[in-house]
Parts: sequence; structure tokens; C-alpha cells
Amino acid sequence: MEIKFEGIIVIVGNYGSGKTEVAVNLAIHHRQAGLKVRIADLDLVNPYFRSREARQILKIKDIDIVLPPERYLQADLPVLSPAVAGMIRQPSQVTILDAGGDDVGATVLAALADAFDGQAIHMLQVINPMRPFTDTIEGCLQMKAAIEKAARLEVTGLVGNAHLLDDTRSRDILDGHRFTADLARICGLPLEFITASVDLLSSLDSQRLTCPVLPIRRQLVPPWQKAAEI
Amino acid sequence: MAKVLMKGNEAIGEAAIKAGCLNYFAYPITPQSEVAEYLAKRLPEVGGVFLQGESEVAVSYMLYGAAGCGERVFTTSSSPGVSLMSEGISYMAGAQCPVVLVNIMRGGPGLGGILPSQADYLQATKSIGHGDFRMLVFAPASVQEAVEMTMVAFPLAEKYRNPVMILGDGLIGQMMEPVEFPDDLRSEPTNKNDWATTGMDKRGSDRPNLVKSLFLDPEKLNEHNLMLKAKYERMQQDEVRFEPYNLDSEYKVLIVSYGTMSRVCRTAIDNLKADGLEVGMVRPQTVFPFPENAVYEATAKSGCNAVISIEMSMGQMLEDVQRSVKGRKEVHWYGKCGGEVPTPEEVMDVVRSLAD
Repeated sequence: MEIKFEGIIVIVGNYGSGKTEVAVNLAIHHRQAGLKVRIADLDLVNPYFRSREARQILKIKDIDIVLPPERYLQADLPVLSPAVAGMIRQPSQVTILDAGGDDVGATVLAALADAFDGQAIHMLQVINPMRPFTDTIEGCLQMKAAIEKAARLEVTGLVGNAHLLDDTRSRDILDGHRFTADLARICGLPLEFITASVDLLSSLDSQRLTCPVLPIRRQLVPPWQKAAEI
Repeated sequence: MAKVLMKGNEAIGEAAIKAGCLNYFAYPITPQSEVAEYLAKRLPEVGGVFLQGESEVAVSYMLYGAAGCGERVFTTSSSPGVSLMSEGISYMAGAQCPVVLVNIMRGGPGLGGILPSQADYLQATKSIGHGDFRMLVFAPASVQEAVEMTMVAFPLAEKYRNPVMILGDGLIGQMMEPVEFPDDLRSEPTNKNDWATTGMDKRGSDRPNLVKSLFLDPEKLNEHNLMLKAKYERMQQDEVRFEPYNLDSEYKVLIVSYGTMSRVCRTAIDNLKADGLEVGMVRPQTVFPFPENAVYEATAKSGCNAVISIEMSMGQMLEDVQRSVKGRKEVHWYGKCGGEVPTPEEVMDVVRSLAD
């Protein structure tokens, strides 16, 4: 089982579901597989911990990153770079759009409706069942409906991102896998992949998994921690 | 309750509910708006109320009104918003109304920036508003600690009949960490019928309670302020909290640091220890009252050459550290105040230069 997307991937999900960490690691994963990758930070609603924080490592890995102009990076304003519509119209081999949290954060996608017109996209909803509001199937379905309405796009697949940062145990990942697989069945959507921190990979019983695993090397860390090496 | 992954702002909101507070009035401002967003969803589920005021000034008087009726009530804001509330906070201190205030600090002065800062230290600990008053100020260093401090703030506000502040920097509000909530503390405030306008019929009394901060008679006002002074002295005696770090070692430098800044210092201390240099730290968990004795006693170690206050402000806590050290050792300062959090490497360089 392998994770391999081509074309446009839109990452959505509730606040703090781990969209940005997933987007950054997914970008690096595809780049390491030899594909040309471009990523855009569309998070217009969150002031801290956005994919722009990982711009250094993305540049080093030869991943094209589309951001608002440098002078507006810390502005408390919803700045959408005009380059984003262009990158949707002429996508790179892999084009990742990291949207903001909840339906509010997904609203920006509706503003890009003209650019999306006629494009095939993967819209992945990231789910961490260890977060408030998405710890029940009902909560996840509500979030999915709200995001789809705001984005005027439909979710095409799910990503299981169960974790408690440094306190995650392999059991949490397996429980999260079961939860997201159940949700996928109810939605009639594929569970595209789940994630696991690299140091937990070896302890996971892959026989029990029905989908591939994206190894996470954490990049968005507080100032007293070091980002994982890639 | 099982661990969950929460943003500090969300966790503070949930902690207030768990502490039995069902009244939340606020006005949005980055980087704490997620508290309002979270509670707008959560409070209706538990029969509570979130009401957005038309400004922070209005919010401060909504708090005063609710607290004066004996209701548990709280607000959250960030630096410029807290300044706007200062008048109402002074009235609540004067009228002895218990209230919990959360300041998730951003850079200043003025609009400043939206990134983390600790530049409201003096405002919080010395004089948040006009008049002669103080309040208990807790400074959490993790999301878990923000939860615990928020939960303990409500009973303490009621015990002292005084505002209590949770002073966190932007990172405390914005970062996510696993948290566990202690059991619910949904007790009723015990002493509210003695003073609050809870209703004479309801409490079976023939005497109305009056909540006020106006004392036109100079003798009465002096008496009132002496009573408040005694209350603040009780806080200084009973409520000091701090965490020692590596103070058992033969440290050469003593760091005083609080909030998320102290976590950078902790990493720096661990790294320096691995390099063979011992450094100790006193981390104030309450910044009013300040752990004066702990800092003074920590400077007694013979090998300790210097003391340094490390903070995300231009030396606001430094004055408290100097006061506590009483001239026994040289006191230095290091910090940044633009929103960038100093890195462990920067702290290590500064500390190394003081060790010799």
C-alpha cells in the first residue's frame, strides 16, 4: 500500500486536526518520490503554526511554496496570494493546498471556485478523533458537511491523524484507524491513509491496517523543541 | 477523563466550564479569539451563556454586574483589550467582586503585533487600573497548567472576593498539547449570600446586600482600603507558587523565568548540563504574589555568580527579581519583545557569558 497522489490535493479539517503537519509531510513524501511538488498556505484564519513556519525546510527540499508576500506574513489579515489561482489552473505534478480550520477556514476555497472549475481534485478531510468536536462520528459528519458547504467542493477521501503529540501510544493510532475506517464506510469515501510519528512506526501492527501510513516527522514545534530531521 | 489534544485557548474555555462557570462575556482579539469560538459552541450544550459585548469596556461592566449578583463569570482578552477593561476591573476590585480574567498577551505598546509577548507583566502585577489594589496573577507554562490554574482561579477569586488573572503569552493560547481535566468542581460559591445581590427572598434575608466601590466619607474609604490591603497581604503570605528547576545542583547561574519563556530556559538548562555547566531556575507560577523568598534563598548558593531575569519583555519582571535578590548577587536581564521567542541557543550563549 502506497501513498501516491497526482494533481491537486486540498487539505481540510477542523481546527487543530493537523492539516498543516499532514500537508508539509505529504509534500516532502511526494518530493522524495521524485515528483515535482508545490504547496500553498491558504490558512487565512489562524495566527500561529501555519505551513509558512515550515518554509525553510520546504525550500531546502526543493518544494515550491506559495505564500503571501513576505511583508504581510505576520499580518492579522486574510491575505490570499494571487499566485494561488494560477497554480490551480496550471497545477504542478503534485499541488497541495493547505486550507484553514473548520468551515470558516475552508471559505477561501469558494473564492477560488473559478480556478477549480473543471479541475479534478482530491479533497482530503484530516481527522484527529482525540480533538474536541471530532471525537464522535456525528461531529466529523457535521464538520464535513459544514466544510463542503463553505468550500463549495466535496470531500473525496479521509485521512486519519489520531495523535496526542509526544503522549501518543501505538494503541491510540490503531483506535484512531478503526474510528476513521468506520467513518469512511459511513460516508462511502476511501480512507486514503493514516499518519504515525516515525518513532511509532515500528510498533504498529501493519496487519491490522487497511490503508497506508504516512510517517510524520514533526515540523511545527514550539520554540523549545527541535523539528524532526528529514 | 481521557487525555485530549487541545489548544490552550480551547482548554481554558473547557476548564472554566469544569470549574462551574457558565457565564462568559468577551470581545474577540488575536491571539485568544478561539476561547470565544470554543465557548460559543460548548456553553449552550451545558446551559451556559456566551455574550459578546460591543467592546471590552462594555464587557468589563457585564462582568461587574454578573459578579455582583454572585454568579461565576469570566472573560478572556489580549493586551489592548485588557487595557480597555481596566476601569471595570478597578471597580470590581473596589467592590470586592470575584471574577476571573485571562490575558493572552501579544506584543505592544499600542496595537503592537499578534505574536507572543510578556509585556503586560507590570500592568498585571502592579497596577491594572486606577486606585490602590492588587490581584492574584497566575502564569501558566503549559496547556495543562493553564487548565489547572483556570480551575483553581474561581474558588480563589471567591475566597478573596477579588479579581484573579491568568497571564499567558500568545503561545499558551495558540499551542496544542495533550491535556487531562481534573474532576468537575461545579460547587456553588459558598459565601455569596453574605454580600452579593442574590435576592432577599431567595436567601431568606430582611437585609439588602449592596455592591459598591463608592465611599465618599474619607474615614470609611481609608478603612475600606486598609481592609483591602490586609487582604493583599494575606495573598502574599498564602498564595505564592513557584517551581524550582535544577536547584539541587551546584549551579553557577540562577535564571528567573515564567510562562512559555521558562520552557525555552528549561531546554537551555538541560543542554548546558550536558555540556557540564549547571544552571538553576526559579519559575514563578504566581507573579503576584512574586516568589521573593524562593529567589532570595536560591541566591544563597556559594557557587552562584549571577542571577538573570529572562522574559519576553524589556525587563518588567527584572524589578521584582532585583527586589528579591536584595543586592546579594548581580542581576542581569535578557529578553526579546517583538514576538520572536528567544531560542534555547540564544539563552545558552547569554548564560555561558555570565558563568565565568
